[in-house]
This record gives sequence, C-alpha cells and structure tokens, in this order.
Amino acid sequence: MSVTFDELLDVKGAKCPMPLVKSRKAVNNLGVGQVLKVVATDRGSVADFQGWAKTAKNIELVAQEEGADNGDTVYVHYLRRTK
Amino acid sequence: MTITEKLEIGVAPRRIEDVYADLLQDKQRVIVDVRNRDDFARWRVDGRSSLQIVNIPYFDFIEEEDESVAQVPAADEVLVVCAKEGSSQYVAEILQERGINATYLAEGILSWGGLYDTRTVVDAPFGKVIQVARPARGDLSFVVISEGQAAIVDPLRHIDNYLQVVHDERATLTHIFDTHAHADHISGGPALAAETGAAYFLHPYDAIHPLDMLPATLPYNYLADGQTFQVGQFTVKVIWFPGHTLGQVNYLFTAPTGQTYLFTGDGIFLRSFGRPDLGGRGEAWTPILYASLYERLPQHVNDDTLILPAHFSTLDESAEDGIFAASYGQVKEQNEALKPRTLAEFTEYVLGNLPTFPKEYVEIKRVNAGLIQPDEELASELELGKNICALADA
Repeated sequence: MSVTFDELLDVKGAKCPMPLVKSRKAVNNLGVGQVLKVVATDRGSVADFQGWAKTAKNIELVAQEEGADNGDTVYVHYLRRTK
Repeated sequence: MTITEKLEIGVAPRRIEDVYADLLQDKQRVIVDVRNRDDFARWRVDGRSSLQIVNIPYFDFIEEEDESVAQVPAADEVLVVCAKEGSSQYVAEILQERGINATYLAEGILSWGGLYDTRTVVDAPFGKVIQVARPARGDLSFVVISEGQAAIVDPLRHIDNYLQVVHDERATLTHIFDTHAHADHISGGPALAAETGAAYFLHPYDAIHPLDMLPATLPYNYLADGQTFQVGQFTVKVIWFPGHTLGQVNYLFTAPTGQTYLFTGDGIFLRSFGRPDLGGRGEAWTPILYASLYERLPQHVNDDTLILPAHFSTLDESAEDGIFAASYGQVKEQNEALKPRTLAEFTEYVLGNLPTFPKEYVEIKRVNAGLIQPDEELASELELGKNICALADA
C-alpha cells in the first residue's frame, strides 16, 4: 500500500509512550490536511494509535500497515492533521 | 497543550508482590489503568470490591492533561498501570507534578498476569496443605505434603512454582491430580508428570473433548469413583462429581485425626459453583450437577470439612491472609448458589445465570486433551484475563 505523506517520523526502537508523544509533536508541526508517516517497532502502537485517533482533537488515522526493516517488524501509521 | 517528553521526576515503581499484599489488605484503594480501552476491557488488575479502578488512556493525558488529571479519584496513593511500564511511569510523573502521590506497577500488567502466590493453608503434625494461586486468573491449586510425599491438585501451566514448593519441602512428588479437564487454563499436570515421573490422574470421561468428541492423546491414569490413594498420612478418596464436566471429581483427603479436606475443583466454590454449560450441553448436564450438589456431596462432608476450590471470582472471597478456603459449614451459609432448591428451581436459577462462553475455552480443552500443542505466545493469549467458570452472580 502506498499512502502519500508529507513528513516522516522514525521512532524505531522507541518504547511506549514515546512513539505517540513524538507523533503528537510532529502532527502539531504539520499544516492542516498534511499527513505524517510514523514508523515504529513497538507492536502496542497499533492499538494505541487507533484508540488515540478516536478521541484526539485533530487527528485522522488514514492507514496502518506492517512491514519489515532489516529483519525487524515495523508498524507504520499515517496520521492526517484535520484542523 | 503541554507535552511532557523528558522523564525527569523520580517516581518509584512498585513490585506486583507488594501491590497484591496491599490489595488483599485493602490498602491499595485506587488504580489508574492507562492502557487503551480495548485492552482494559479484556483484562485488568482485580482487587476487592472496594477498589476503585479507572481507565484513562495515557494518550488522553497527552491530549488533554487537565481533564485527564481531574478524572483521577482522590486517594492517599494512586497506582498507575500500563501494558509494560513506560506509559505508566510517564503518567505517574505527570500526576506527581500535580501533587498527586503516584507510583507505577513495575513491568506493567504482564507482571500481574504472571504473578503466582504461594501460602500455607494447613501446617499440622500429619502434613501440610499449600495453596498456589494465580490471582490474575482467579486460579487456585494445591500441594499436599505428608511424610516426604507430595501430591498436587489442579496444577497450572507454570510448573516451576510447584517444583520449587516440593523441593523446599524436601518431598517427592508422587501424585498429580486434576479434578477435571479444565476449560479456562492449560493444565500443568502432563508437563509435571513428564518432568518428574509422577503419575498424572484424570477421570476418563474428561479425556474426551466434549465438542470434538475426540479422545485425549496424552498419557494419563484413569480415575474411578470411590478409588483410594495414600499420600503420607492422608487417605485420599475420589468422589465423582459430574456436572461442570462429566468427569469432574472431588478429592477427599482425610488426616489421621479425622479432619477432612475436600479439593472441589470446579464443583463448589466458596461463593458459587462450576457452570454446567462449558461442554455445550447445559440443559442436559444441569440435572446431573443438581444430583452432585444436593445428593452426592453431602454424603462425604461434614460442617468441619475444609473446602479448597480451584477458583475464586473476587478477592473478597479471601481474608487478608490471601487464603481461599473455608469450612463446609461456612460455605453453606455464605454461598447463595447452594441454598436449597428443587430441581425445577435449580434449573431455572442455573440457566438464567450463565455468563458468556469464552470462545478460547473450546481451544483450551483441546490443549488439555493433547489435541493441539500451543507455543508460549498462544498459551499466554488463551489464558488472558480472569476465569469465567462460576455461575454469574444472581
């Protein structure tokens, strides 16, 4: 799957809550409508980003996908700033 | 919006063993679980009914710190729990900054899931009864020691806990007794038998998977109603108690003093009894359970018989000592489920109070019959959360 994105955030190796904390900051720096691609290795980030996007003020979870990176499973999240 | 990124303030982690002791003594009054809502709904730390446990996901603290902090109940000390550890430390530090005395659970909810708690129930000249509990699941099992001989009733999957007890007591394990083929957890019986050479016992009716109708593929020794064993100074009698499963038995241990100990498995619990529908035949098995409860059981017990069940549903069933056992006289008084009923009343009561049927239970019975061999990840997944073997509260 290829989703168009504007900014890339690499949080590989970061443990909960840091992938989400850093994503929040990065989304704040986006323009409205822009998309952030987050690459994480923390499996818990999948459910947490879903839960977060449900209640967060200005975030839409556009897509999530699983991939491989140097033998590690990576979890990729695409977040759009909605307002 | 304030976003705290650096973890600067020192907040002390707490070990699950200490938290469990406080839960039993009702000293831990408030828990804030900061996992996402789905994970919280699946399982959580359980305490006494007085425990206040609230779910405020950590990302809510990131989004709306003021509102989230305002949702934390007032308490002398708040324990923050998350999946592993990091998010609970993060939130505990936010709370600490706001003047709330907060700690967090070391290693997260997994430490609760993995907690085994060992306590001595009976320490008499003729022998010992040691309770091995897994509180997150409400699972209870027992080691009986007498004259250097050990028997284990309903061992759970992590067998090192039992090998340690047997070793500490300088005993030799001779008998591994399952009361029935469990649906809610994977038995440690076959693994203990393979490890030690001790004999593993199961009633043959429970060696057939009730839904698949396939026979067990793992080695076991047949039990028969009325069969007896000797474990040191204890005489052990097998009492067939069908209803929860067709091959459910109770083990009646009699000491030389005449004192009796009944290991009931999922027959009677302290405040309920084992549901009759997990084999998929609730209506057909309810009258069989009725006969076990009202006709068979009273023949073998007196008011002083100590009842030692395989499950509890709430910590309220234990005193501060963490022991889940009571005399039959006490159980009769406090167990609403055991009050006198006709078969018609009983059937209505049972079939009207059946909790949900967890889909994992069919699979766990396959594991316990040797029909599938799960890896560690699947085994943990199957055993997530608390057992639902008891009838629901009426």
